[in-house]
Amino acid sequence: MVKRVYDIIVLFKEYFLLAFYIVLALLLLARNETDQVRAIRSHLLAVAGTLQDVVGVVPNYFTLREENHILREQNLTLTDEINRLREARLENIRLYRLLNLKDRPSLPYLSAHVVGATSQSLRNTITIDRGRKDGVLLNMPVVTADGLAGKVSTISGDYAVVQLLLHKDVRVSARVERSRVNGIIRWTGGRSLQFANVPTSFDVQRGDVIITSEFSSIFPAGIRIGVVSGKRAVPGALFQAVDVTPAVDFDRLEEVFVALHTPDSSRVAIDHRP
Amino acid sequence: MPRTVILVALSLVFLLVQTTIIPHLAIVSIVPDLVLIWIVYVAIAYGQVQAMTTGFLLGLLLDVLSSGESMLGLSALTKTLAGFLAGYSYNENKIAQYLSGPQFPLLLIAVSLVHNLLYFLIFLQGSDLRWDETILQFGIPATVYTAAAAVIPMFAFARHYRT
Repeated sequence: MVKRVYDIIVLFKEYFLLAFYIVLALLLLARNETDQVRAIRSHLLAVAGTLQDVVGVVPNYFTLREENHILREQNLTLTDEINRLREARLENIRLYRLLNLKDRPSLPYLSAHVVGATSQSLRNTITIDRGRKDGVLLNMPVVTADGLAGKVSTISGDYAVVQLLLHKDVRVSARVERSRVNGIIRWTGGRSLQFANVPTSFDVQRGDVIITSEFSSIFPAGIRIGVVSGKRAVPGALFQAVDVTPAVDFDRLEEVFVALHTPDSSRVAIDHRP
Repeated sequence: MPRTVILVALSLVFLLVQTTIIPHLAIVSIVPDLVLIWIVYVAIAYGQVQAMTTGFLLGLLLDVLSSGESMLGLSALTKTLAGFLAGYSYNENKIAQYLSGPQFPLLLIAVSLVHNLLYFLIFLQGSDLRWDETILQFGIPATVYTAAAAVIPMFAFARHYRT
């Protein structure tokens, strides 16, 4: 009897193996958010991140020359901008005091190198060389000098995976910097974003800058997300379709900054109060 | 060196190349799926069991490196199926012919299409992205890019088997 079962298994081993792998994959899919699966993911990320870190040096050389050129240009522009912003900041402090407003605390940032990237099959994530040991936590915002890049989605001791804004699961509460119109930034495919939930009568113009709003419990307010590149009325709909070109060039991410920002727990508690 | 060790080592190399160098070859965010090319190669050269195992393990690692709080196991599932389907082409007497001929990229097109259809069907659940549009925008171009990339190893094998 046992021999017969064994013979059947050997004869159909491909099908048994296929069934085994499929069941295993489906179990993983179904139990994605358990602590055990998180722990396995964290360990695997630690190994894979280390390997990526070693190999990740290679592509840097392809873009080094061009990057140097761009950085020199940026340096000139930013030096000029810093001088103007210094003046604006002093003026801002005076006005804040005058109006007796609660000052926004500045965020501590942690620099990180991009050691790996996945732009395959709409996943659009990067792996960075900072992890739990550096104080990185799940859902921390990740930015570049240009603006918001994404949020931390998986962490190990030394590495973290960042979901970019170009990811189906990332949504950001945002507003138009000029007219203070609120909406939701989401990705609908391609290299641009959509500023959603904006009624057709609200003031949004091409060229408007979109920033994160105070309504987000993950992202701090005021981070640049992108610029409105076009809008169109959707026939029969209450909302307009607003396209946004991201501020960050996701194809050239090499160094990013993790904003060591955790949401105010008392605010989250009151937000989620029934 | 035992064949298994070589297969595992090469699998890891292709995974690392896929996540470090290949993103630099993106055309409008479409990249060739080097891991899938490797799985199809394993299927043609070694058979269904090895291809499925390679697909499952590499898919799982890709999931870890790219997924967020969800979808761990999706690439493992789709790449296992890709290995299983590609494994039907295994014929001990025709390995050289399949690897060095148009069968290699053609098989990749078929496997990649099934892989992408299933992948996006599950991946897009609960998302604002439309399945048919996504297949047209990403699935088919990714299949074409992957098949085009497979022409390079095809010529390399043709040259190798000629000499």
